[in-house]
Amino acid sequence: MLVKPKKIQSHAYAESIINTIREPLLALDQDLRVVSVSRSFYDFFKVKPEDTIGQLIYDLGNKQWNIPKLRELLETILPLQATFDNYEVEHDFATIGRRTMLLNARQTQGELCKEQIILLAIEDITERKEIELGLEKARKDLEVAKLSEDEARDYAESIINTIREPLLVLDQDLRVVSVSRSFYDFFKVKPEETVGQLIYDLGNKQWDIPKLRELLETILPLQATFDNYEVEHDFATIGRHTMLLNARQIQRAFGKERIILLAIEDITERKEIELGLEKARTDLEVAKLSEDEAREYSESIINTIREPLLALDQDLRVVTVSRSFYDFFKVKPEETIGQLIYDLGNKQWNIPKLRELLETILPLQATFDNYEVEHDFATIGRRTMLLNARQIQRAFGKERIILLAIEDITERKEIELGLEKAHEELGELAAELKRAAQVKSEFLANMSHELRTPLNSINGFSEVLYDETFGPLNAKQKQYVNNVLTSGKHLLLLINQILDMAKLEAEKMRLSLSKLPVKSLLFEFSSLVADMVSKKQLQFSLEIAEDLPDIEADELKIKEILYNLLSNAVKFTPEGGQIGLRAQKIVSGIEIVVWDSGIGIAPENMEKIFEGFFRVDTPYSRVTEGTGLGLPLARKLVELHGGKLTVESAGLNKGTLVRFTLPVNSIGVMRDEQ
Amino acid sequence: MNNKVLVIDDNENNLTLEKDLLEVAGFIVFEAGNASSGIAIAMREKPDIIIMDVRLPDMRGSEAAKILRQNKSTCDIPIIFVTASVLSEGREEIQDITNSGFIGKPINTRTFVEEIRHFI
Repeated sequence: MLVKPKKIQSHAYAESIINTIREPLLALDQDLRVVSVSRSFYDFFKVKPEDTIGQLIYDLGNKQWNIPKLRELLETILPLQATFDNYEVEHDFATIGRRTMLLNARQTQGELCKEQIILLAIEDITERKEIELGLEKARKDLEVAKLSEDEARDYAESIINTIREPLLVLDQDLRVVSVSRSFYDFFKVKPEETVGQLIYDLGNKQWDIPKLRELLETILPLQATFDNYEVEHDFATIGRHTMLLNARQIQRAFGKERIILLAIEDITERKEIELGLEKARTDLEVAKLSEDEAREYSESIINTIREPLLALDQDLRVVTVSRSFYDFFKVKPEETIGQLIYDLGNKQWNIPKLRELLETILPLQATFDNYEVEHDFATIGRRTMLLNARQIQRAFGKERIILLAIEDITERKEIELGLEKAHEELGELAAELKRAAQVKSEFLANMSHELRTPLNSINGFSEVLYDETFGPLNAKQKQYVNNVLTSGKHLLLLINQILDMAKLEAEKMRLSLSKLPVKSLLFEFSSLVADMVSKKQLQFSLEIAEDLPDIEADELKIKEILYNLLSNAVKFTPEGGQIGLRAQKIVSGIEIVVWDSGIGIAPENMEKIFEGFFRVDTPYSRVTEGTGLGLPLARKLVELHGGKLTVESAGLNKGTLVRFTLPVNSIGVMRDEQ
Repeated sequence: MNNKVLVIDDNENNLTLEKDLLEVAGFIVFEAGNASSGIAIAMREKPDIIIMDVRLPDMRGSEAAKILRQNKSTCDIPIIFVTASVLSEGREEIQDITNSGFIGKPINTRTFVEEIRHFI
């Protein structure tokens, strides 16, 4: 310990400093013996105070401090300079191993005495040195690294430029740092428009794609990478394309910048090819399905149709046969399939014409239609077959298939022949009928002439007799001669009406038209029927419109119509009944109605009354004399004038109404030439 | 003075009927069964009227009428054709014959004489 109080005081101060600082510190006297030591010294060098204080510095800790460089410092340099700084001493210390120490020393003159005190600060810079070396190394490494980075960048850029795929390098602000050559080529942009630009602004903002924004701004910061992101977009320069995007976010080693590598692969064509492939695959499946279906369908057709049908291969061997073929030709499947067509059913198909068709015509034309073959078949006899064939080239494979439809038209031919014959016969018959009609009207004309001549005598003589021109007859004689006369007149009426009918049917009736004062004609006519009416005590009503116009018509024919209708009305109306005649103007001419309250016409007989010679079987039919030709004749005469005649009746015993019209100007203007 | 009438008809019954009706009415009746004898009688007797069937055994009534018209003595005599024909032939062939008339068969015995008298 130090002795003088002031010294002690001063020592204490120095000791407090010494003990406060972390660095080991020694205070030596002028003899280089340890005066004082910092606590950290003991800690650091693992020595004790009793082994230290008063000791020569070189003897400390097993003389581990006997370091030549320290001796040089303390004994040579310090007495001259009084101080030395940052003296590095590397030394193998016994207790702490090889260390590098930084020595700083100060030689101080004590205030109260003239003794020198040397303060020696020992700093262990082993770690600092190591750190510094590390730093140096790191600095070197860094330089190397910087070199490699440049190299890597070059390398990467060369990769970037070599690869076909457009590749973008973006900084953290999504601005283009570098771009592959293919990018320029592909997107038709120039370097000066690209580098430094925001990716979204590239090439007229064609990259401003919502999905790309999502990828770069949302997904990438979270995941640092994304793979195979498909983006379909309408690009301004290249049109609609599908791009496959792959990105990597790279943290740069030094510095906080991120770099984004964005690889753009145009998969439009690939997609199209894939789609095409997919479609082709689907089509193929569909095709296979439809082929199966089609085959099934055609087989079901083959089996459904009535016509025998054969499918032959190119060697004319049977591939398949319709069910009807077996039925029709009475052959069995085992005798048929695989056989040469000519050999089928005891070679009954070995027909020269069929050979010609299959071997000569079909190869040239691929099809023949409606080829008729008449042949004596062993099983079914002589038949006429209609052959239709199609040669089909199979889609896959080079085989031809021949479809041969065989239609047995034997019966049809017979029917056709029959029909033709019938047609001929019909033609003959029609000619015959025409001739017959001609003959009939000629016959009727001649007959009526021949009949009238004797009737002229019958009626003439009986009339003269009845009139007692040449002397009186007794009552019986008069009655008989009257019977003869009545029958003769009826016969004459019959002949006349039949003749008229024949002429009308042969369209040989001609009208003799003249201006007809219908009103006066009707008045005149009603006075003629008055006699018939009063005989049967019928009530006759006549209604003739004031404005009834004159018409152009055949007077005799009109009278005949009126006579026929009125005499019918009288005939078919019982005594005490009513008959009437009504005439009025209508738009096209006049309408005349002859009505009665008589026996009427049952609905089922409505059509029969126009057939001629039809007399409804009633009690009246015996007492009423007539031909049944009056009404049909009247209708034909009305129609010949261009009018219409209809009959109405509410039914049996409910009266009859005959209505006919006549035009103002008749269409039939030919003269009757009787 | 009684009118002379020539009736030409090949049907004897008709001839008789017409002759009887005319005679009763006061006519002097000449008869002929065919055209040639009728023409001969007409030239000889020069009747006031000739009643002739259209169809006669030796010629058509119209042909006979043409002959009569060509003869000076008979060219003015009215000719009444009586025919049962229902076809056009009867009318056509007598249309061009002057001073001729037509009565259809069968005749009405009650009006026959009056019809004949109408033509004289």
